[in-house]
Amino acid sequence: MASDYFSNAKKKSPLTSKTVEQMPHSLAGLSFKAWRDSRKKNHKMRNIRWAVLLFMNLLFVFSFWLDLSVLEGSLSGSRLLGFYLMDPFNSLQLLAISSTTGYMAMLTMNFWIGLFTILIFWFILGGRSFCSWMCPYHILAEWAEKVHNYLVNKKKIKEHQYHIGLRFVFLVGFVLLAVLTKNLVFENLNLVGIISKGMIYGPSLLLLWLLAIILFEVFVSRRFWCRYVCPIGATYSMVGKYSPLAVKFDYDKCGYCLECQKVCLVPHELWFVKRGKATQVTHFVDSDCTRCGLCVDVCPGHALTFAVKGASSIL
Amino acid sequence: MKSNPNEMNRRDFLKAGSIAVGALAVVGAGTFVLDKNAAEAMPREDFLRPPGAIDEEDFLYGCIKCGLCVQICPVDAIKLAGADEGLGYGTPYIAPRIQACDFSCDALQCVETCPTAVLDFRPFKEEGVRAVEKAAAEPGADLSTVNPFEVQKVAMKEAVLMGKAHVNRNTCLAHKKEGFKGNPRGDDFEGLLRSPYKNAASASPLKARDYDREICDLCIIECPIGEKAIIQRRSRSGKKLIPHVLDGCTGCGVCQMVCPTAEPSIVVEPI
Repeated sequence: MASDYFSNAKKKSPLTSKTVEQMPHSLAGLSFKAWRDSRKKNHKMRNIRWAVLLFMNLLFVFSFWLDLSVLEGSLSGSRLLGFYLMDPFNSLQLLAISSTTGYMAMLTMNFWIGLFTILIFWFILGGRSFCSWMCPYHILAEWAEKVHNYLVNKKKIKEHQYHIGLRFVFLVGFVLLAVLTKNLVFENLNLVGIISKGMIYGPSLLLLWLLAIILFEVFVSRRFWCRYVCPIGATYSMVGKYSPLAVKFDYDKCGYCLECQKVCLVPHELWFVKRGKATQVTHFVDSDCTRCGLCVDVCPGHALTFAVKGASSIL
Repeated sequence: MKSNPNEMNRRDFLKAGSIAVGALAVVGAGTFVLDKNAAEAMPREDFLRPPGAIDEEDFLYGCIKCGLCVQICPVDAIKLAGADEGLGYGTPYIAPRIQACDFSCDALQCVETCPTAVLDFRPFKEEGVRAVEKAAAEPGADLSTVNPFEVQKVAMKEAVLMGKAHVNRNTCLAHKKEGFKGNPRGDDFEGLLRSPYKNAASASPLKARDYDREICDLCIIECPIGEKAIIQRRSRSGKKLIPHVLDGCTGCGVCQMVCPTAEPSIVVEPI
């Protein structure tokens, strides 16, 4: 069963660590360092992902500007060739408010079609894959992260990390605020919507808020918004909990080099790559993973790959 | 703070969590303040909600700010509010002096496209059905010649209620017994208009029009609703021919857009 791969994996007793002879670099007849640096720098997955992300966001823009009518609306709510798509966190807030006010007329058939289409689509593709393959803030944050890491390496600034559970505090908090104030409070702070609407309908003053968050990420805390705040990401994280598409970890090919954790947006999900941590020969990365493929690109032993859960047993 | 999130414990969570709750409280308090200000600022004549908008209180949370109504409008009358509108950020509005809703789309497409029905189509649909039934039941009605769409779209159009137009007697040219010749808004004006009397298929630029009226009656001839909404009538003294707004006015704002005076002499007040 696919769920066995992660639900209790952490609690099991770890596998015995590899001896020097069993390490992939020894098997390849290289020194550890030579093996680690043997994989040529490649950005295959990243380049594909950036191309998809830019294409989809530009499709929104040109659908409006050139009247293509392919992907209308914005990332807050849209229509793909006439089929509605709804942002799941917006929908969640709306459902919460509607159920307290009793005014249900907003929950139209198109609303439900849009919500369920989005939920099924992103369930299949991995939930938070929305973040790295669609969200325009993600690409900005990726560049901000590069600057941030450079500054940390140069010891110009200190790294600040917080508890990863914060996102769920914000998720619950924003839904409660929505109900208490009868307003989609988060939509006014939503960087996804602000950038998406800024590109399509023209910039607004809220770009200053975007700038503030980016500066905070550059100088204080790496990937602060995506890691600890964004309730959209948290919603998608729940959507993708049992998603069939995930990054697969092959213990036999791992050389404990930790290159993957260095590039990962959610390194806590790669807990099994450390020596003496893995409990199974195959692990699937859990729901916080955005399926961005950065780890797939850097892993010297090709131990991390995109895979469909259970596919090996079916095919 | 510890460097690895895996090593964080409940204490770290509570510490960061309490800061997060504090931040949320600030956001919540800010929302309450803005909410109060927003209620005081509305309604405004340069900020009409699009056709079929439900009560402002429900509108503010029901609108998911997707902009589909903006995209479908053939004359770009609908715009999204900026951050200066506070909680109304991202909600659609019409500023009729810049571009009025001239019903170019014929069938209230902004209302039909709204995914959360804050632009509520139901009343228009009912109105359309009722009108078609009425036309069919009319004595002598020949069902083979009655075009239900024509009947329906007129009925839906007339059911719109964004506001009511009011004439400013002090500045209105007709009240001053003046005529109007030329182009009402200048050559730089980008507004579009589909004149009712021309039977045009789509809207065209207002700046291309050339009027020559003995007594100014642009608001009357360009009204997309027609004589149910605004008529020209003789003033009580009998000396003047002035525009007179009737109950059929939908508040579309075309009169406000075409009015040639520097400050519009006919203005839609939101309802």
